[in-house]
Amino acid sequence: MDSEYNGSRYGSPDELGAASYYGSPTLRRASHSTRQSSAEVRRHRDRDSEDVEESPDELDHTFYRDETRRGRRRSSASSGENTVRMGDAGPGPEDEPENEILSPLDRMQPASHLNVHYKQKLILRGHTKGVSAVKFSLDGRWIASCSADATIKIWDAATGKHSQTLEGHLAGISTIAWSPDSKTLASGSDDKSIRLWDIHTGKPHPVPFLGHHNFVYSIAFSPKGNMLASGSYDEALFLWDVRAARLMRSLPAHSDPVGGVDFVRDGTLVVSCAGDGLIRIWDTATGQCLRTLVHEDNAPVVSARFSPNGKYVLAWTLDSCVRLWNYVEGRCVKTYQGHRNEKFSIGGTFGWQNDAAFVVSGSEDNRIYIWNVRSKEVLQRLEGHEGAVLGVDAHPTENLLVSCGLDHTVRVWRDDGGHNM
Amino acid sequence: MNLSLIDPFVLAQDYPESLTGNLRSGHATCVKFNRKGDFLASGRVDGIVVIFDVETNGLARKLRGHTRQIQSLSWSRDGRYLLSSSQDWKCVLWDLKDGSRVRTARFEAPVYIAELHPFNHLLAVASLFEDQPVLVDLSSTVPVKHILPSAPKRPRVDEDSAINEKQAAQDAKQTTCVTVFTASGNHILAGTSKGWLNIIETSSCQTIHSTRLSTSVIIYLRLTASGRDMVVNSSDRIIRTIHMPNLDDPDLNPENIKVEVEHKFQDVVNRLSWNHVAFSSTGEYITASTYKNHDIYVWERSMGSLVKILEGPKEELGVVEWHPHRPLVAACGLESGRVYLWSVITPQRWSALAPDFVEIEENVEYIEREDEFDIHPPEEIHKRQLDLEDEDVDVLTIEPVKGEIEEENSFTMPVLLDIDDSESSEEIVAVGPGTMRRKSPGEGREWMNGVESGGSGDERGKKNTANGTPKSQGRNRKRKVDQ
Repeated sequence: MDSEYNGSRYGSPDELGAASYYGSPTLRRASHSTRQSSAEVRRHRDRDSEDVEESPDELDHTFYRDETRRGRRRSSASSGENTVRMGDAGPGPEDEPENEILSPLDRMQPASHLNVHYKQKLILRGHTKGVSAVKFSLDGRWIASCSADATIKIWDAATGKHSQTLEGHLAGISTIAWSPDSKTLASGSDDKSIRLWDIHTGKPHPVPFLGHHNFVYSIAFSPKGNMLASGSYDEALFLWDVRAARLMRSLPAHSDPVGGVDFVRDGTLVVSCAGDGLIRIWDTATGQCLRTLVHEDNAPVVSARFSPNGKYVLAWTLDSCVRLWNYVEGRCVKTYQGHRNEKFSIGGTFGWQNDAAFVVSGSEDNRIYIWNVRSKEVLQRLEGHEGAVLGVDAHPTENLLVSCGLDHTVRVWRDDGGHNM
Repeated sequence: MNLSLIDPFVLAQDYPESLTGNLRSGHATCVKFNRKGDFLASGRVDGIVVIFDVETNGLARKLRGHTRQIQSLSWSRDGRYLLSSSQDWKCVLWDLKDGSRVRTARFEAPVYIAELHPFNHLLAVASLFEDQPVLVDLSSTVPVKHILPSAPKRPRVDEDSAINEKQAAQDAKQTTCVTVFTASGNHILAGTSKGWLNIIETSSCQTIHSTRLSTSVIIYLRLTASGRDMVVNSSDRIIRTIHMPNLDDPDLNPENIKVEVEHKFQDVVNRLSWNHVAFSSTGEYITASTYKNHDIYVWERSMGSLVKILEGPKEELGVVEWHPHRPLVAACGLESGRVYLWSVITPQRWSALAPDFVEIEENVEYIEREDEFDIHPPEEIHKRQLDLEDEDVDVLTIEPVKGEIEEENSFTMPVLLDIDDSESSEEIVAVGPGTMRRKSPGEGREWMNGVESGGSGDERGKKNTANGTPKSQGRNRKRKVDQ
């Protein structure tokens, strides 16, 4: 697969430029011969960008971090109606998991409450390059998407109407995060800056957050909105005072680009993950590393987030696995498989219906995967995207998903079978 | 949620040990934590109240409305309202949602201390300089003041009218220096200039009991969060802790109230006076700043022994406050006006940096596992691992954390992105490239003149400003988040 793209690749000025300017990715790769280093990750992305015939810069690191759903409590709706529907409205034939992994748990509890049936509702077009991340605002009114074309677009979540285009970054944008009050959007870009945007005026805050020495790769707001965590290609994790746009703490977190950051529900912990295969949990107040999680294979971790209750960490790795970690005990408790994730920083999120949770993720086979959190079975595969799906987010209150990908589109998916949320 | 990961030995440390930082915004004279402990309000010499975010150590809000030094601050229970009292003879109740003034109460004298009722943010008690203390009802736009008695209630034992008259004359000279509400708010505790403690019923404004605690002035009184213990600072250089009787007992007979001193803390060697006292979050410790000295003393209350002297700043410290649930002490430097913070420094645990690191006390012999070097095909290992993942996980249910304050519609302060922080560091302004000068006194305080010349500045201020600052001043307000 790789060699297939390799042919014309090395002539790309972007690739060589990146290699010479940003240190020595090749050296780094050599030193980590056992795993795919982030430099290689990035290269793969470039290859794919060619695949969709865009500029070489088209697809930067993309990743996912979902700000909007944190702190939300689960729906209190009763599960009765859904249980009744269980029998008839099962997933269609094409939704049948192919390589289903059945655990003893499934055999004990065959009656899973989950029965998702999402269908594509809207296609939002407008971005001229791949879309790297998409997020619902916490109040559910807006969808924000950011792209390698250096713009952010705000869409109405209900109608899909384009509301604003936020322009100002000088390079592609890898990551966005909504403030808890849904009035401000933060974005991290390859121009090394983080900006805050007022979504009512569409104007950036006059003071950008400057300090990272390399591409900003992932950002997250604290639940109160007073702090921002950012991970960068410079391998550091920064904590910012949002009010003063001041760098509070710089944590020498990793030895590879920091792919994902997230705050726990009460803001006392930050999780970061990187191409070095480590997931670290930090104490927000003291800046100390409290726990490090690592899987034996050391596959690069491209995205990580806390579960809605803050007891687990969900992490995407480039061995095509999504793992759920009990970070207190330092144990991997679930592995979700079936999708393909070998090159891109793919993200996803938790969703739930009727008090049962699912994990939703993008995939490089152009589909969106939904797994049952407890049984690990694939509940549904959504087809529609014409390129790898890089980011997925779930609506805070309704049965809506939004996804984005290399095909320049943002797509909204609705589950009409479960209005009882 | 970080508690499960933190070293229990660090958590067991319940009083601060070392100076960990300082906050600066103008010259702070008093500080107060809110009940959740995420914000620290600080009153300044120039009458501005600033609110620090304890998590970021940054400025969260600036409140302008007083023209002289702030004397005391009091938070409402939900953290939405803040009462500030000042030497400009005013108390202002602020709404922190938008930074507006809810009420302004004017008095005939400078205010010593004003405190909000613990459950009703529209009721406050204030002690005034050489005047009678007042209970202020702020529920209407014009505050209603009820004068509280200062004279102690003495048992009528002898009928000798001469003695009674003499006593009455003496009592009339007494003034109240400090007033605080009890935990339920049903009673007010007042300390007088002659060392008496008066217990006043809030509903009737009558003294129901009086006890003489000291022979000299009672400077300060405060209760623990539970309201069961009280600490009294008196100018006789003794800090007293007192077990409070249950004043809310329906069968309570005011005649039988006994106020007993539990401990007396003093420095018999240096004969130090105490500027300010505070309880620790649980009430187990007492801390006090010292007069003409740079130290903060920490005593524990079970035995009454001194456990720690906090050092660091090279200046005398005034108001000292203890964080509501962390081992964190804040104190104001009298000279520089900085707010100093003492806390616990936690060492990095190396075992946290890699999952296979273990911290051991001494060398141990490594015993290899039976199957440690067994070779299995990787697929088999993977499959085995996946089969092991059969436990039930719940990623949604939120377990209540012990000690966490969870309220239904709790107030969260909006995050402002446009706070003018120019005074927070040294007051230096850039005049040109590479040239700086000290800010001239009075600069940036034009608002004060504006408010004063407007006559009843409060009402006017309320109309056209969000933060007590007329918009015509064209200050650096680029964007308001709370519109």
